[in-house]
Amino acid sequence: MDVMANIVYPVAGLIGLYAFVSLASLLWEGIDRKLVARMQRRVGPPLLQPLYDFFKLASKETIVPNTANFMFRAAPVLALATAIALLAYTPMGFEPLLSSKGDVIVFIYLLTLIGFFKILGAISSGSPYAKIGAAREAAIMVSREPAMMLAIFAIMWRLGKLGVEKPFSMGVFYQHNIWETGTPLSFVGAVILLYVFVIWLASEIEVGYFNIPDAEEEIAEGLLAEYSGRYLALLKLTKALKAYIAASLVVSIFFPWGIAGYLNLSGLSADIVNLLFHTLKVFILLFAVQSVFRATTGRLRVTQAVEFLWKNAFLASLIGTLLIAMEVIM
Amino acid sequence: MTEKVEYWVKVPIGPIHPGLEEPEKFILTLDGERIINVDVKLGYNLRGIQWIAYRRNYVQMMYLVERICGICSFSHNHTYSRAVEEAAGIEVPERAEYIRAIVGELERLHSHLLNLGVVGHDIGYDTVLHLTWLAREKVMDVLEAISGNRVNYSMVTIGGVRRDIDEKGKRLILDLIKYYRSIMPQIEEVFLHDPTIEARLRDAAVVSRRIAKEYGAVGPTARGSGLKVDARWSEGLGVYPDLGVKPVLPQDVTGEKPHGDVYDRTAVRIGEIHQSLELLEHALDQMPDGKIKAFPKDNVLVAKLKIMVDGEGVGRYEAPRGELVHYVRGKKGSDKPLRWKAREPTFPNLFAIAKGLVGNQVADVVVAIASIDPCLSCTDRVAVVQGGKKIVLTEKDLLKASIEKTRELNPDVKGDPTPIGFGCAR
Repeated sequence: MDVMANIVYPVAGLIGLYAFVSLASLLWEGIDRKLVARMQRRVGPPLLQPLYDFFKLASKETIVPNTANFMFRAAPVLALATAIALLAYTPMGFEPLLSSKGDVIVFIYLLTLIGFFKILGAISSGSPYAKIGAAREAAIMVSREPAMMLAIFAIMWRLGKLGVEKPFSMGVFYQHNIWETGTPLSFVGAVILLYVFVIWLASEIEVGYFNIPDAEEEIAEGLLAEYSGRYLALLKLTKALKAYIAASLVVSIFFPWGIAGYLNLSGLSADIVNLLFHTLKVFILLFAVQSVFRATTGRLRVTQAVEFLWKNAFLASLIGTLLIAMEVIM
Repeated sequence: MTEKVEYWVKVPIGPIHPGLEEPEKFILTLDGERIINVDVKLGYNLRGIQWIAYRRNYVQMMYLVERICGICSFSHNHTYSRAVEEAAGIEVPERAEYIRAIVGELERLHSHLLNLGVVGHDIGYDTVLHLTWLAREKVMDVLEAISGNRVNYSMVTIGGVRRDIDEKGKRLILDLIKYYRSIMPQIEEVFLHDPTIEARLRDAAVVSRRIAKEYGAVGPTARGSGLKVDARWSEGLGVYPDLGVKPVLPQDVTGEKPHGDVYDRTAVRIGEIHQSLELLEHALDQMPDGKIKAFPKDNVLVAKLKIMVDGEGVGRYEAPRGELVHYVRGKKGSDKPLRWKAREPTFPNLFAIAKGLVGNQVADVVVAIASIDPCLSCTDRVAVVQGGKKIVLTEKDLLKASIEKTRELNPDVKGDPTPIGFGCAR
């Protein structure tokens, strides 16, 4: 019985989630491409184009450059594996599968690890474009994470003060949420932090201003320059998963409400309904952050983006954090 | 005490690269993201056009000249016709000159809109690309309606134009002017006031006034740096003085002193779109009636040119990319040119922009190159075939050859023959 509860159910759940999220995130990419195409007065590809791309790439020949070493081939697999592992810690309308005390740190680690593996694969390819892309990705990564980490720890700490079972766990958002704290000061703080998270999300999925490491026209897709065939398919899937996961985090911090309670559902059916509703919220958030942002901006230079992330996002994060912390301290 | 180590890397951009429209190669020496040096290599798009041209007579050559490049097909044909007209001493009817001006300005509209879209695309702002190119469809349609073709208009012939612009064509062009007047505020809003565009284009690839002058930059590249050059204005070309043409400088559009950056070059293009609309309006207004060709039939033209062309002629015209020069030399009794040479605006601009890129970032390279609107199929020209092996002569070889020739003519000549700055080392 213990084996069933501790191993079989989580594994089955993780496989189910992986299948669902892969489909949903690739479908979102198709919706995004269609929406952006309509904004640009184009017809756009079919909704399932990313899925077709994935299957086509998976069946194509994979070319590995002579200059590449072992990590070039290992990196896409490791990146996808990390993304799948991350699903077990991602709040998606219900408490994460492996939710435990302090797992926010695991979440942040795994999310950053995806980018790290991509960088590792790129610098192992021997291509100068991939190396420039890796340098840019690293610069953006160290600039975007501090703002997000400061904000998420502050929110977790504040929610912990309201009394939760597992403080600093990804499940706390479904017990209390940031808007419940009540005072005007913390409300303003929460709005500022929402802005910080939106900026972070845009830089995490690399759209608009932050489409710098993968700049197609400048450095020929940067990190992905040398990848082809199966490895490219894995990396594209990883990218789609990462967008879904990162958006899930923002949705569950700021808009955690489910609808299963109103429908008098419980158990597995409640989780499934909440997951579908959560996916809808993720799509709406990504529409604002990805599609609209992508259609109305171009990319910045890497120095400008780093400056923006430190001077704008990090500063906002600091102010929001102080506003949230102030009412507890005072 | 340790010495500072410099990690410089050489990164090739091209010959085939997603950001370049045509094969050309730039070798960047990088220190991180900063550019230390730019080396330009040309010769990837050589088609031996000059060689082909010597096997054609003057009239057949027009078809060839028009196909040097797909964007400025009218400019090449127009300039070539001017060169032959000068060599043969042919008088062009006034109505033909007006029609030439009209088609030339329409072509400038479409070329500038194309370039604005490309600049948007190169900074990852694809919405701008799609919307400006949507606006460009209008002028393409009008060109098709009045000339029969979207790309190679075949409007010009030696001694006039092939097709007249009738009342229907006039109406279409007036419609077009109204259409562009209505959408230009939006295009201006995007290219002059959008925060992304301003952040990316301001102070990118600055070509100072001095560099523009030294490297002989022409067209919007030179005007963006504050040089007052425009072949239509300085030469008093055709009927352009009557239409009131004058060089558009960045301060006319932005109201600031010229910086010589990508933003200014874009601003000049926007100013020129406005100017082209005005010129079109004036030209339609003032166009007189009369003949449109000096010789009604092409076979007469071929026969006449055989007798009339004696000596040399130079045609100059301000193509959308800058001043275009065609040189033609012929001999009485031959229907083929002895010598024909086209000098394209891209060549000097390319080296000026390569100089301007030093000290900028990798991110600026593609947009800076797009900002001079390079036309490499126009530029690649010289090749020597020796024993079945192709050798492409470039700046350095030509410089060496000219130094040798100078030494041969005058062994006492003083001066340092090494090239200043960088060139195309090969």
